[in-house]
Amino acid sequence: MRQMYLVDDVPFSIPAASEVADLSGVINKLLEANHDGHKHVEFDFLVRGQFLRTKLANHMETENISTEEVVEIEYVEKFTAPQPEECIMHDDWISSVEADSEWILTGSYDKTARIWSMEGKAVMTVAGHTDVVKDVAWVKRDGLSSLLLTTSLDQTIMLWEWNSERNEVKARHCCRGHAGSVDTVAVDPSRTKFCSGSWDKMLKIWSAVPTVEEDEMEEHNRPRKKQKTEQMGLTRTPLMTISGHNEAVSSVLWMDAEELCSASWDHTIRLWDAETGGQKSTLTGNKVFNCISYSPLCRRLASGSTDRHVRLWDPRSKDGSLVLLSLTSHNGWVTAVRWSPSHEHQLVSGSLDNVVKLWDTRSCKAPLYDLAAHEDKVLCVDWTENGLILSGGADNKLYTYRYSTCVSDAGA
Amino acid sequence: HSSKRSLTKIYAYGHDQDQRKFWLALILTSVTLQDIRNTVGNIPMEWYKDYPHIGYDLDGKKIFKPIRNKDELDEFLDKMENPDYWRTVQDKMTGADIRLSDEQVDLVHRLQEGKFGDVNFNEYEPAIDFFSNEVMIHPVTNRPQDKRSFIPSLIEKEKVGKLVHAIKMGWIKPRRPKETTPQYYDLWAKEDPNSILGRHKMHVPAPKLKLPGHEESYNPPPEYLMSEEERLAWEQQDPEDRKLSFLPQKFACLRAVPAYSRFIHERFERCLDLYLCPRQRKMRVNVNPEDLIPKLPKPKDLQPFPTTQSLVYRGHSSLVRSISTSPSGQWLVSGSDDCTVRFWEVSTARCLKTVEVGGAVKGVAWNPNPSICLVAISYDDTVVLLNPGLGDRLVSTATDQLISSYEEPEEVKEQPVQWTVAEGEGHEQGHRLILKHPKAVRQVTWHGKGDYLACVMPDNGSSLQVVIHQVSKRRTQNPFRKNKGLVQCVSFHPIRPYFFVATQRYVRVYNLIKQELTKKLMANCKWISSMATHPGGDNVICGSYDCRLAWFDLDLSTKPYKVLRHHKKALRSVAYHRHYPLFASGSDDGSVIVCHGMVYNDLLQNPLIVPVKVLKGHTITHDLGVLDVTFHPTQPWVFSSGADGTVRLFT
Repeated sequence: MRQMYLVDDVPFSIPAASEVADLSGVINKLLEANHDGHKHVEFDFLVRGQFLRTKLANHMETENISTEEVVEIEYVEKFTAPQPEECIMHDDWISSVEADSEWILTGSYDKTARIWSMEGKAVMTVAGHTDVVKDVAWVKRDGLSSLLLTTSLDQTIMLWEWNSERNEVKARHCCRGHAGSVDTVAVDPSRTKFCSGSWDKMLKIWSAVPTVEEDEMEEHNRPRKKQKTEQMGLTRTPLMTISGHNEAVSSVLWMDAEELCSASWDHTIRLWDAETGGQKSTLTGNKVFNCISYSPLCRRLASGSTDRHVRLWDPRSKDGSLVLLSLTSHNGWVTAVRWSPSHEHQLVSGSLDNVVKLWDTRSCKAPLYDLAAHEDKVLCVDWTENGLILSGGADNKLYTYRYSTCVSDAGA
Repeated sequence: HSSKRSLTKIYAYGHDQDQRKFWLALILTSVTLQDIRNTVGNIPMEWYKDYPHIGYDLDGKKIFKPIRNKDELDEFLDKMENPDYWRTVQDKMTGADIRLSDEQVDLVHRLQEGKFGDVNFNEYEPAIDFFSNEVMIHPVTNRPQDKRSFIPSLIEKEKVGKLVHAIKMGWIKPRRPKETTPQYYDLWAKEDPNSILGRHKMHVPAPKLKLPGHEESYNPPPEYLMSEEERLAWEQQDPEDRKLSFLPQKFACLRAVPAYSRFIHERFERCLDLYLCPRQRKMRVNVNPEDLIPKLPKPKDLQPFPTTQSLVYRGHSSLVRSISTSPSGQWLVSGSDDCTVRFWEVSTARCLKTVEVGGAVKGVAWNPNPSICLVAISYDDTVVLLNPGLGDRLVSTATDQLISSYEEPEEVKEQPVQWTVAEGEGHEQGHRLILKHPKAVRQVTWHGKGDYLACVMPDNGSSLQVVIHQVSKRRTQNPFRKNKGLVQCVSFHPIRPYFFVATQRYVRVYNLIKQELTKKLMANCKWISSMATHPGGDNVICGSYDCRLAWFDLDLSTKPYKVLRHHKKALRSVAYHRHYPLFASGSDDGSVIVCHGMVYNDLLQNPLIVPVKVLKGHTITHDLGVLDVTFHPTQPWVFSSGADGTVRLFT
C-alpha cells in the first residue's frame, strides 16, 4: 500500500449509478484534500475481490451484494495499457518464444531458431534442424555463454551453446528418442534437466548438462541417422521416459523440482513425479489442451484448449471442482497462456482469433486489455520478469510490449 | 359412644360384603380413636413397621409399641390358656392388644349375619300407600292452587316475542313447503358426456333421399318419357327390379296434375328405410399429430460434436475435391483441381508440403495403417502412392524400404493396370508408385489393414469399373466380371472381408472370400453420390444427389432404416467418425450437417439418429458447396473441403 494514496477509513454513501470514473473522481477529491501536491490518478475498483466494470448497482446485483450494508471497495492504481515497443519481423511463422532478461529466443517454421536483442536486433540464427522448430527454451547463462534448447518436428531436441561475445553457436547435443514431433520442452528449476513432450504421447526427461561424450545409442543399425549426429552435436538419450497419455502431449512444465505437469490432446492434464516417473494425479477436461502455465505465486494452473476459454485449475484440489474459473472472451482456440512472473492475478493469453489478451483473474468477465496487433493466428506468448510481454504468430511478427505492473494495492 | 350410633346407622346401608368389611375396620379405628396414645393420625401404619415406636407424646418422647416378643410356642400356649384369646385383636394404630367387650362382639356377630348394627332398628316396618290406582274423593294435599296457574305466563310471552321478532328479522326461516312434484330417477345422469358411446354421439344421420330428377317432373323432356315397349317392360318387371318406381308422365300444366296416389305407400317405404338403415358408425380417433413424433433428445445432451469453425486451411486456388487425415490425426491431406496436393498441420492450419501432380486431383486417401506412411492420390487415369515423409521418420523410411524391397515375380501376369516405380524428380517429391489405369479414376480407398487399395473408374459400358490393388505384391484384380450399373463409390468393410459397391440406386455387398453377392441394399434414391461404412461395420450411410441421406442397418433390412432430408441441395460426401457416434454429410448448399447416430447393443432399443448441428462456412462457388467431409481420427472434429478452395475444421 502506498502511503500517498491513503484516505481516511470513513464510510461514504455513493450513488448506485456511479461508475469507475465517478468513484475515481471521489478518491482523487479526497486525496487532493489530504495532500497538497496531488496529481490526478486513475483508479480501478475492487468490490469483494472483483473488478468493477459496470455501474455499481449492476455489479452489486450480479454479485448478489446487498446495497443496504456497508461495502468495502478496494482501489488500486489503474493498470496502464501495455506499451508496444518492438515489432520483429521473421521469415516464417513464429512457433515459440522465450525471453530472458537480455535476449529473446524465437523458434520459427523456417526450421531455425533466432536470438534477438531486446531492441529487436537480430543477433544469431540457430540453424540445424531439418524441420520446423516447435519450441525453444533457455537453459542457463554462464557469463557470456548460454545454453539453449530447440525442439523440432524432425523428432529431435537440440542443446546449443551460444557465446554472446564471439556470437557463435555450437550444437552440443542432439537428443534423440522421440517418435513424433517434439512439441514442447521445459527446463527444471535446477537447470540441470529438461523434460520434453511429443506427439508420440511420451514425456522424456533429459540431462541439460553438456558433456563431451556421446551417449550409447541403443540401436546401431541406423547409418543415416549416425551421419547426421556427427554433423549436429553429440547424440543424447533420455534419462527417463514417462508414458501415460493417450494422445499427443501438447505442453509440459515443471511445477517444482520434483513435480512435472503435462497437458495433452487426450483431454487431461497430468501431474507426474519427476523422480520416479509415477503419475500423481489427473485433471480431466473435455477439450484438447493446447497449453498450460503455472504460477507459483497463486499456485494455479492456467490452461488454453481448443475452445474459447482460458481455464484456471487448482492442481492440489482433491474435491471434484477442478476448474476454478473460466476466462471467456476469445473467439478462437487459445493457443498460448502465460502467467505473470510478478503478479499473482495477471496472465496473458493468445488465441487463433489474432488477439492477445491481458487478464486479471479478479475481472473474469472481460480482459484488462486486448492487444490486437497481430494479423494472423497468435501461436505463442511470453512474459518476462522485467515486465515485457511478447507474442508471436502466423503473421511472422513478434510483438513486444512493455507493461509495468503496479504491485501496490491501495486501501479501502 | 355417641359416634358409634351414627356409625351403626350407616352400616344399615352397607349390605355388600366388601362394604361391610370396610365398615368393620372403621369401627375398630373409631373405637381406638379415643386412644390418646395414637399421636400419628390416620396414616398407613407400615411406615412405623421397622421402628420400636409409633409417634411421639406431648413431651416429644417416643411412644413405644408394646413389646411383642411372643414366639409360636407362646402364641400357642396363649391360645390354649387364655379364654379371651378369641376376642383379643391387635390395634394396628398402637400395636396394643385389645380385648373386645361383649357388646362389640355382639355387634360383630350381627354384622357377620348381615343384620343392622342397632338392635332396636326394625327393617320391616309396615309401609303406607299414599298413591294407589284407586281414585280418591279427596286430594292428597289440601293446598290451594297458585295464582300463576290462572294468569298467562310472562316468561312464555317473552319467549314467543323473541321468536316473532326473529322471524320478522328473517333470522328464522319459516318451514319450506313440501315439494309436491314427483321425483324420477335420471337414468343417464351419471353418463360421461365425452364417452364415445354417449347417447348423443349415437346419432346416426338418416339416409338421404334421392333428389327428384327430370323424370319426376310433371312436364319432363320427351327423352325421359317411356316408349310403349319400355312401359310394357316396366309393367312386367317385379316392383323390386324396376329402375324407376313410377312411370314418368307428361301434363300440359300443373293444374292438370292429379293427386299422387302412391304418397302413403312411399312414406311407409321411407319409414321402413329409416328403420332398417344400418346403424354402423365410423369410429374416429383423435390423435394430436405432435404426439406421433418420437421424442428426440436435445443436441446439448449428445455432446461432444463439432459446433464452431476453428481453423481455415487456405492455399488451394481451386476446388478441393478430396481430403483425408493421417491415422495419428496430426496431418491432413487435400487434393484440389489446381493440380496440387497439400499437406497440412491440423493444429495450426500450416501447409507443410505441397506436391504438384499432373492433373486435377479427384481423390486422396491416407493409408489407415499407422505403420505405413503412404497417401494414395488419384488424378486423371493415374493413381500415385506418395510418401509424404511426415510423422515418424522410422515409419517413413520403413515404408520406403518396403516399397523398394519388392522383387519382381518370375512369371508376370498380364494386369489391367500398369505399375511403375517413380524416379527422378517425382521420387524427390515423394512419389513412390504410379499406377496407370485405362480410364479416369474417381475414387481411391484403402482397406483398414493398409495393403489393399480400391479404385473406381465409373464407366457404364465396361465391366472394368472397380479394381483392387495389392500394394505389397503390386498386383491388381478386377473383382467383377459383369457390369451391374454405373459404380459411384466403393468401400471396404472395416473388419470382415466384405466389399461395398454403390451404383446409382443400389449398394451391393460382396463377400470377397466366397466371391458372392451377400446383400443388395435399396437406397430409395435416384443417384447415390457417396457412401461411408461405420467402423463397426454394421451400418452404412449413403448420400445422394437428390438431397437424401439413407442410413442402413445391415442386420435389419436392405431398406434404409432412416432417410434424412435435411440438406437443400445434393449431397457430395458423407463420413463416419471412428470412435464417437457421429456422422456428417456435406452438400452443395455449403453446409455440413453433423448427426448423432447411436446404435445400442440392446437389440430392442431403436438406434438413435439425431441431427445435432448444421455447420456453415464454405461459400458457394459455381453452385458447388462442400465437396468432401472427413472426421478427425481421435477428436470430435470434422474437416470439410469446399469449392471455394478452402478446407475448414469445425470443433
